[in-house]
Amino acid sequence: MKPTVEQLETLLALKRHERPEEGYFDDFLREFHQRRREEELMKSGFVGRWRQLCQWFSDQGAARWAYGAGLAYAAVMISFLLTPDASQGDSSPALTPVGHEVKAAELEAVEQLEALDLRSSSQGRTGEQEF
Amino acid sequence: MPEETLLPDPDEDLVARARSGDTRAFDALIVKYGERLYGLVYNMTSHKEDTHDLLQEVFAKAYRSLPSFRGRSSFYTWIYQIAVNTTLNFLKKRKRRSGVSLNELDSSVHHDPALVDSSHLANPEKQSRLRELQKRLNEAMLGLSEAHRTVVTLFDIQGIPHAEIARILRTSEGTVRSRLHYAHLQLQAKLQDCWE
Repeated sequence: MKPTVEQLETLLALKRHERPEEGYFDDFLREFHQRRREEELMKSGFVGRWRQLCQWFSDQGAARWAYGAGLAYAAVMISFLLTPDASQGDSSPALTPVGHEVKAAELEAVEQLEALDLRSSSQGRTGEQEF
Repeated sequence: MPEETLLPDPDEDLVARARSGDTRAFDALIVKYGERLYGLVYNMTSHKEDTHDLLQEVFAKAYRSLPSFRGRSSFYTWIYQIAVNTTLNFLKKRKRRSGVSLNELDSSVHHDPALVDSSHLANPEKQSRLRELQKRLNEAMLGLSEAHRTVVTLFDIQGIPHAEIARILRTSEGTVRSRLHYAHLQLQAKLQDCWE
């Protein structure tokens, strides 16, 4: 047998008395203020801002897909505008390979360097100059 | 749906003080509405830990959004809207747990005047049957869609009038009545095999 709507409503009304235990809201308030302080600290950092953005997106419901699509479109357009146009490359002078040959240092210059007396005895003590 | 307040908001003063940074005023609002919102979220989620976390989230959102609260609806309607939306979003994200807490009869129900009168105490068989019915009702509630469970919770459990539920859910009163009707039919059908 089905319960009548009145019987059902009476049974459901009993659930009005379901409530948290005594003192629950004292602890709840303490935790609320603790979380709020932590949140304010987090807000100042990059991670905090990123989380705020993520939270904002998740709160948008179905509209987040529209926002996401809009952002993706904006990102594509920005990258398109910032990328140099390939067709403009034809008007610039053609690049020619460098045909420069690297030669070894001339023997004469090396000999001149070796001829210099760079020993410390001719310079006096380290860091001193003689006039 | 246009939001309007015909009567002055009884929380106007507390809201104004909370908006100007008075945390005690906001605490007073938490204490005032916390218990009812707890019942709402608990009956929608069927889970005490989730209820606690969601309630924290609801009040945190309300606190953050307080500067943008323009008073087009009462604070009561506004905080209920936040609670319903936050809970529905949560339920959509996590359709996993079922009936963890609601499968147990809450201790508070034992203190209900309807249950603790002498005739009931003298009749343990009746007590036991009532508990069984509550358990079956909880299971039946979990079988409802989120939209139907919401209106049953708001109307039958919380005792909120149809018009106010329509404002909270931002829908028409007809939709609320229709959802309630179908929800009742489903609950009646689910409870028929245990009803004498």
